[in-house]
Amino acid sequence: MGKLWLICIASISILLPFLCNAFSPETPTDRRVLVLLDDFAIMSSHSLYFNALKSRGFDLEFKLADDPKIALQRYGQYLYDALILFCPSVERFGGSIDVAAIVNFVDSGHDLIVAADVNASDLIREVGTECGVDFDEDPSAMVIDHIGYAVSGTEGDHTLIASDDFIKSDVILGGKKIEAPILFRGIGHAVSPANSLVLKVLSASPSAYSANPKSKLSTPPPLTGSAISLVSIVQARNNARLLITGSLSMFSNRFFRSGVQKAGSQTKHEKSGNEQFLTEISKWIFHERGHLKAVNVKHHRVGETDEPALYRINDELEYAVEIYEWSGTSWEPYVANDVQLQFYMMSPYVLKTLSSDKKGLYSTSFKVPDVYGVFQFKVEHQKLGYTSLSLSKQIPVRPYRHNEYERFIPAAYPYYGAAFSMMAGFFIFSFAHLYSK
Amino acid sequence: MPTNLNFEMARSLVGFTVLLLFLSICESASFFQPISDSHRSAAVELFSPDHGSLKSLEETYEALRTFDVLGIEKKPDVTATACRLVSETVGSSSSTLKNVFYALKANSIVKCKINDKAYQGIITRLNAAVDGASSLPDFYYSVGGLVLVKGSKGDVHLADADGIFRSVKAFRQSDGRWRSSSSNPESSAFAAGIALETLAGVVSLASPELDQSLISTLNNDISKLFDSIEKYDDGALYFDDKLVDGHDHQGPLATTSSVVRGLTAFAAVTDERLNIPSNKILGLANFFLGIGVPGDAKDLFNQIDSLACLESNRVSIPLILSLPSTVLSVTKEDLLQVNVNTVLGSNAPPLTVKLVGVFTSGSKAASLVESQELLFDDGTGMYNLKNLPKSIDVGSYTFVFEIVLHELEHEKIYITGGQKKVPIFVSGLIKIENAEIAVLDSDLGSIETQKKLDLAGQNAVSLSANHLQKLRVSFKLTTPHGLAFKPHQALLKLRHESKVEHIFVVGNSGKQFEIVLNFLGLVEKFFYLSGRYDIELAVGDAVMENSLLLAIGHIELDLPEPPEKATRPPPQPVDPYSRYGPKAEITHIFRAPEKRPPKELSLAFLGLTFLPLLGFLIGLLLLGVNLKNFPSNAVPATFATLFHVSIGAVLSLYVLFWLKLDLFQTLKLLGFLGVILVLVGHRVLSHLASTSAKLKSA
Repeated sequence: MGKLWLICIASISILLPFLCNAFSPETPTDRRVLVLLDDFAIMSSHSLYFNALKSRGFDLEFKLADDPKIALQRYGQYLYDALILFCPSVERFGGSIDVAAIVNFVDSGHDLIVAADVNASDLIREVGTECGVDFDEDPSAMVIDHIGYAVSGTEGDHTLIASDDFIKSDVILGGKKIEAPILFRGIGHAVSPANSLVLKVLSASPSAYSANPKSKLSTPPPLTGSAISLVSIVQARNNARLLITGSLSMFSNRFFRSGVQKAGSQTKHEKSGNEQFLTEISKWIFHERGHLKAVNVKHHRVGETDEPALYRINDELEYAVEIYEWSGTSWEPYVANDVQLQFYMMSPYVLKTLSSDKKGLYSTSFKVPDVYGVFQFKVEHQKLGYTSLSLSKQIPVRPYRHNEYERFIPAAYPYYGAAFSMMAGFFIFSFAHLYSK
Repeated sequence: MPTNLNFEMARSLVGFTVLLLFLSICESASFFQPISDSHRSAAVELFSPDHGSLKSLEETYEALRTFDVLGIEKKPDVTATACRLVSETVGSSSSTLKNVFYALKANSIVKCKINDKAYQGIITRLNAAVDGASSLPDFYYSVGGLVLVKGSKGDVHLADADGIFRSVKAFRQSDGRWRSSSSNPESSAFAAGIALETLAGVVSLASPELDQSLISTLNNDISKLFDSIEKYDDGALYFDDKLVDGHDHQGPLATTSSVVRGLTAFAAVTDERLNIPSNKILGLANFFLGIGVPGDAKDLFNQIDSLACLESNRVSIPLILSLPSTVLSVTKEDLLQVNVNTVLGSNAPPLTVKLVGVFTSGSKAASLVESQELLFDDGTGMYNLKNLPKSIDVGSYTFVFEIVLHELEHEKIYITGGQKKVPIFVSGLIKIENAEIAVLDSDLGSIETQKKLDLAGQNAVSLSANHLQKLRVSFKLTTPHGLAFKPHQALLKLRHESKVEHIFVVGNSGKQFEIVLNFLGLVEKFFYLSGRYDIELAVGDAVMENSLLLAIGHIELDLPEPPEKATRPPPQPVDPYSRYGPKAEITHIFRAPEKRPPKELSLAFLGLTFLPLLGFLIGLLLLGVNLKNFPSNAVPATFATLFHVSIGAVLSLYVLFWLKLDLFQTLKLLGFLGVILVLVGHRVLSHLASTSAKLKSA
């Protein structure tokens, strides 16, 4: 009995690392998250956010950022599926974690949430830079907005911002409109225009600027207006998803529960939009939305069901693919009207929008071009907020065989007629020539 | 039975250094607000059966206690559940000491019906437990249980109170901390709180009075314990056990809470005045208030319970000065209101709030106002300053208040914490005048075009300039009191059509703000981009109520052509919406089929091709062709017939070749037919040749 128990434990501990991997369509559940904190107080003061994650089935493991025992991987296997960095002031991570380890973690398809704050350490700024955003370099700078601030009896320096400039994407922010503005207090960042993977989810208003509120502004602020990003997301090419923000307090219970009234607006919202915004965006970050998979790619000639090894030019063919979206618990049919198929050889010969049956099946039919060669069926679906789908399947196209051409061409009847009348004449002539006297 | 102190707060294993965070959340407000409605709503949310709490008696007690302190109507189902749990626990002899203790605690709030027999059973059990106790928790639960029974039944005494007092005191360490059991070498402030509460229970249960000297030695221990108190920058004080072994580490909130409970319980039973500086009590109150609204049920209970202990303690009751609003508008003539409450928000004794001084933030100048008293308003229960002093203009200030208690005795009971500094923003409407924009000629400085601007309304200025000219924007800002005003944000923004932006800080001399852009010096900075630039002006400050961001208009700049090595303008962000989306459909253009004549035409020409054959046949008839030469002998005639049949077969093969056969089938058959044809043809032709030779020779 004791031995059996030991074996059990040993096999579990051997298997465990293999069970925890990046988000994969095969095992989309079982998500372990490492939360690194500056201080365990954040567990209590930000508990609403953590509870929202826990209630969705995430297994959060809280550690201090300078804990000497923390590690992201052991024996080459990652121990976590995602990492949350709520440690803006950490100067050096404990254990084996450093910026390179975090970058490798993301490079292997894992998700990351980074919250910086005023006086963010160089380390967190470096993590931000690796993620493709640049925080304001002035360590005491904050985002200030003298027009779009949140009205508050006790906060008069206009660094508590009520922002409602969201990205227009239902997949990132959920289908329900966020009515109340988002409370934000922290540092701004800029996203590099050359980086097409970073998206500004929450931008500052045009009147905002990033500066130290306590000192006089003598040089133009490095970040101003809508160029300031308050919350940004990254979807890497390997579908790893990242959230970067310059405010840790926007995740706090205080901001979640606080009412909000934007300066100059008469509407006072009972509750800020922070909870809805951050919960919805965490669903996106943790692949509960916008993660697509394509299965059952099929193509065949019209009227047949088997997939041929090759097509002949001018064949009519049908192509079908099923696309599903992960909803956090199950794969739901993906409904869209802009999935496109390319029939591709060096460049697309045919590009057609697939029609959907609203149950996940996308199909179309078209005629194979009259050019032979090695073609590809390509579905390159890239949509704001969704993981990119890239399917390609090689298929050769052959020309007509010699006996597949048309045999009786009406235009050639005179030639046929001439030949046959010639033959008839010859037959008669042979009699006339041989036997006539 | 647990032997170490991880018995009751196993969930909050973690450290709890709250204020660091709190400070980062509300840096500007370094004063503390008493308990408010947000705590009540949080309590209702956290202590609800569907939130997962109220499972154990301990959690039930915590919920009941928190509701009780906050004055929340108890929900009937909570009370009913609690009573059921209480009577189950009290009635059963197998329930643990800890559960009995919490059952009695919960009972002291909900007042369930427990019969005398059950009480007797419990008293015997607890007495036995006191006698057999060997660790601090055992003492804590059993003595605490007896105190609670005494609270509801009255006639409970400890026979050997002195002895128990001494055995509890054996856990004391020299630094004022306590150990939880004799086997555990680690001492903690958390255990100290437990021990004090237990000893307070022993004192109240002792039937002959305890030896006073025992109690006074304890007084020294408490002073020593308070020497190890820790401090945050904003004046909050707390206890924290720095244990190496993390497992029974309680965290500052639980530790401080335990000490406060023990201290207040002990202060309540002793006649002596405890030798604790009253500002330490205020510091502890500040610590609990500084947490804000905790997100965890346990933390909320610790906070509320400790504050309730402080609210009515016998050492000194903290009074909290708070302001509902620290942003005052001179334009709207806002009242300066000050609230003085106890930590739980109930009314303070009669007192006067004095405004001692007002200082400009960041400067060390003397106070701007005379010391004055604030008027008490009965309606709101607040202390008001009727009018802001004349000397206070818009800006950020530090107001210094002082609380003076009316009755001297109160000064022993209450602690006010001396002078209180509160940062206050005084905002107002800033007058903007003389706003104008002009294009100047560079060499002479003469004005080419000048436009007045209305910075309160719409502007659509359209200017044009070349690189030899200058642009000047100027305006004047005055405060409501007519003084010069320097906003934090005074920025001029030029945005080119291609979205390249240039930002300039508008400088000032006194009230006058002016910026002159000399385009000659800026051509390189502008990347030699000629064209339309939109002009935006942003003027804003924390105390400026009419901060503005205004599109003034545009200027057409005519800049020289860029030299070869000029820097390129930086790339501008691409609109994310345009980057995605469906592409235009492509359909393959098929090769057009060859042009063919209509079928009728082909058929007509087919008919024409038979005409020569017809002509040939008619010609043969006209020539009078006959078959007189056909061999008459049977053998040559057979061969001749075969010969022509063969020719016919070959021709038919050609027809079949056209209709269906392929080349190889045709050649195969043709080879076979060809041999026959040659053989037969040879016989026929040689026969014909010999016949004709005979004729000639004949």
